[in-house]
Amino acid sequence: MSADQFLQYLISGLTIGSIYALVGLGFTIIYAVTRIINFAQGEFVMLGGMLSFYLISAAGIPLGPALILSVLIAAAIGAIMYLLAIRTARKASVVSLIIITIGAAVFIRGIVGVGWGVDAVRPPYFTGYKSISFLGAYIHPQDLWIIGTTLVVVVLLHLFLSYTMVGKALKACAISPVAAGMVGINPRAMALIAFALAAAIGGIGGVVMAPSIGIDFNDGFKLGLMGFVAASIGGFKSPIATVIGGLTLGIVVSLAVGVDWGPFTSAYKDAIAMTVLLLILLIRSGRLAAEERES
Amino acid sequence: MSEPILETKSLSKAFGGLVALDKVDLAIEAGKITAIIGPNGAGKTTLFNLVTGVYPASDGEILFQGTLLKDTPPHRRAALGIARTFQNVLLFGNMTVLENIMTGQHPRSRYGFIGAALRLPKAHREEETISLNAMKYLNMVGLGTYAEQNALSLPLGQQKLLAIARALATEPQLLLLDEPGAGLNKLEKQELSDLIRRIRENRISVILVEHDMPLVMGLAEWVIVLDSGQKIAEGTAAQIQRDQRVIAAYLGEEVE
Amino acid sequence: MLARLKGKWTYFVIAALLLFLILIPFNWSLGQYTVLMIFIGLFTMVTVGLCLLLGYTGQVSLGQATFYGTGAYISAVLSKICGVNPWLAMLIAAVATGAFAYVIGYPIFRLRGNYLAVATLGLGVIVYILLRQLGPGGPDGMAGIPYLSIGGFVFDTSFKRYFLVWFFCLAVLLISQNIVRSRTGRALRAIHGSEAAAESIGINVDQFKVKIFVLSAVYASLAGSLLAHQMSHISPGSFSPLVSIIIVVMAVIGGLASVWGAIFGAATVSILKYELLLGFGEWDIVIYGLILMLVMIFMPEGLFVRLRELYGRWRLRYAQRGAET
Repeated sequence: MSADQFLQYLISGLTIGSIYALVGLGFTIIYAVTRIINFAQGEFVMLGGMLSFYLISAAGIPLGPALILSVLIAAAIGAIMYLLAIRTARKASVVSLIIITIGAAVFIRGIVGVGWGVDAVRPPYFTGYKSISFLGAYIHPQDLWIIGTTLVVVVLLHLFLSYTMVGKALKACAISPVAAGMVGINPRAMALIAFALAAAIGGIGGVVMAPSIGIDFNDGFKLGLMGFVAASIGGFKSPIATVIGGLTLGIVVSLAVGVDWGPFTSAYKDAIAMTVLLLILLIRSGRLAAEERES
Repeated sequence: MSEPILETKSLSKAFGGLVALDKVDLAIEAGKITAIIGPNGAGKTTLFNLVTGVYPASDGEILFQGTLLKDTPPHRRAALGIARTFQNVLLFGNMTVLENIMTGQHPRSRYGFIGAALRLPKAHREEETISLNAMKYLNMVGLGTYAEQNALSLPLGQQKLLAIARALATEPQLLLLDEPGAGLNKLEKQELSDLIRRIRENRISVILVEHDMPLVMGLAEWVIVLDSGQKIAEGTAAQIQRDQRVIAAYLGEEVE
Repeated sequence: MLARLKGKWTYFVIAALLLFLILIPFNWSLGQYTVLMIFIGLFTMVTVGLCLLLGYTGQVSLGQATFYGTGAYISAVLSKICGVNPWLAMLIAAVATGAFAYVIGYPIFRLRGNYLAVATLGLGVIVYILLRQLGPGGPDGMAGIPYLSIGGFVFDTSFKRYFLVWFFCLAVLLISQNIVRSRTGRALRAIHGSEAAAESIGINVDQFKVKIFVLSAVYASLAGSLLAHQMSHISPGSFSPLVSIIIVVMAVIGGLASVWGAIFGAATVSILKYELLLGFGEWDIVIYGLILMLVMIFMPEGLFVRLRELYGRWRLRYAQRGAET
């Protein structure tokens, strides 16, 4: 493999890894604040992409407003999902919540499939389609949008969590919901914000990603799985680790798919990611079990 | 003095930076009722958890009937003869009172999936024994009339008795009772005392963690006092009540 | 008197069920549903395992279709390509699947709740992709799988296979019922009630969880093998992660920890899928999602179990009113 090729794989890895990172951030935010794994996280990415397409092409809304609107709608759906499905299930067990979020994911996917059909769609590129040459490799402008937007989101998120009242309240909930409650933070309001925020971030991911490789109603599942791997690398606690995890995963997948490993074709990429996931879970399981005993 | 049924040597447990037990040496006599008392946070429940194997010790040894308990998991220790009750009772809410006790017979019965699936005669015979034994323990704690009721439908005092019956069903040699008197009224505490004496008469050693001083002093043949993870005194009930260090440790605590 | 009848009631229900089952293929108008009933029987076998797993260990497996698939493929490959007797192939598939579940069971069950669910989901994805890539026939699957036969009697029509499948299904249900009513069943319920307390009375919680997992895998494997030998053609699409989700829907309708409820769950979803929603595209997914959410929010013990509970309460009130007059 030449240096040029490696660079190419690196770029495409960072690109797709950015999406994984965004999905992973969504998982991390919701889990940190509510201890719930939101299996519908991937669907928000899908919604972001789908919404941007239909707002632009069917409703004729110009690009900028359409993107913003898509993200807002995704956030709203996240909030509604929390209010209708999660909050009403008071004191539900972990397993019940898992099934509920899966139900929500399946429901959202089904509605999109019914309402907008099963075919893939692709919204227009943000700034054209001519690839830029860079150190012997080619970068597509949309890829730059993806990577750039992810960077901006990560920075904004960090600022939000560290310097705003709401952000600090979210962090407090993540550390201890009980203690947070005692200083006057309403955990349910925080949960609502967490869901909306996670959905928005997912939506942003979908919005920047869709012009690049298109989107169809099934994509939520795969992206969700990948994002979960990224989040589990971050231990569902650290946004930075999640992002690094996502980017790393993206690069690993890109190399696994692109390079000729013999019989392992690109179809295996999901299987490889899942194996990585299982390995991570296995490594963590020992520590998890010990922690739980002592609590 | 007979061989101690339970010994700990320099037993220590730390949770991160917090030291819960600090080099505790114990020798519990067999066939007696021993009480472990101490202010809140003294490490009493931690001690129980270490003895029953819920988590490993940070340092030190635990010997049960002379045998070292190293990495033995909790369910093995139950089979060896260590039984316990929990501060928060932890009954099986999805079963009747009798079924809770029958489940306690688990380590004394053998048949498994195959026997159950195919309803082998051996399984049937064991089930009969289990039922009979369970009824015996049920009557021993005086809950005979509640056999078919859901376990959680009982008031707290009787739930605690049920928990003790369930622990007895494992046919232990050592029974650890974690605050059995908490939340009980005077009459219930009296019944509890009588029950613990009956247990002792069946030659089961009892270790009792309790906050209720009259209850402890009336029952215990030996008292060990822990404070902040260390053993600060041990002796008969009378000796402990006069011990200056014990009184100092309890200063500020509510005395009943 | 009512108490004595209560035990007999179960027998009445079972007898009625058996009668109904026997009559279906013979009945002229109901006979067209024979194939549907076969699928209900197969799905019941897969679902029972999950119901027990959910109900007794409080853990969810999002990968039951994995074992359904390995049962089908191992049996198919052994009998078609290696020429092994289909019955033996089925047995080997069940043992292999069970061993597989045993090996991955221990590490997986050390995870909890969320992580375990995702691990099973991940496993399902991996096996699905492997089946698509490495399975004979690839994504299109394999055909020409031999039928099962006893002596000269070949199970080559839906009519005959109906009875074969339901024989196995009822056997699985009865075995499960026996297990639930035994020392093992109590141990499982104890685990569900309080793991810490269960350990303290000598129950090896980890081992039981794995055993139930293995049992559910063996059930699913048998169902998969029966599927292979009856359709004579199988493809990976029948064992995808989505199918695992559908099995969860069946279990949720059937009720956690409910053995007979599994029939109800399998039947409801099968009828939805193959009869009512046939022309409606992706609407079945929408319904599944709604069912999962609504049932788990309002009836977390499962739909069938809740209905049974309500029925019991209604009967009690009815009996009380009868006593008052």
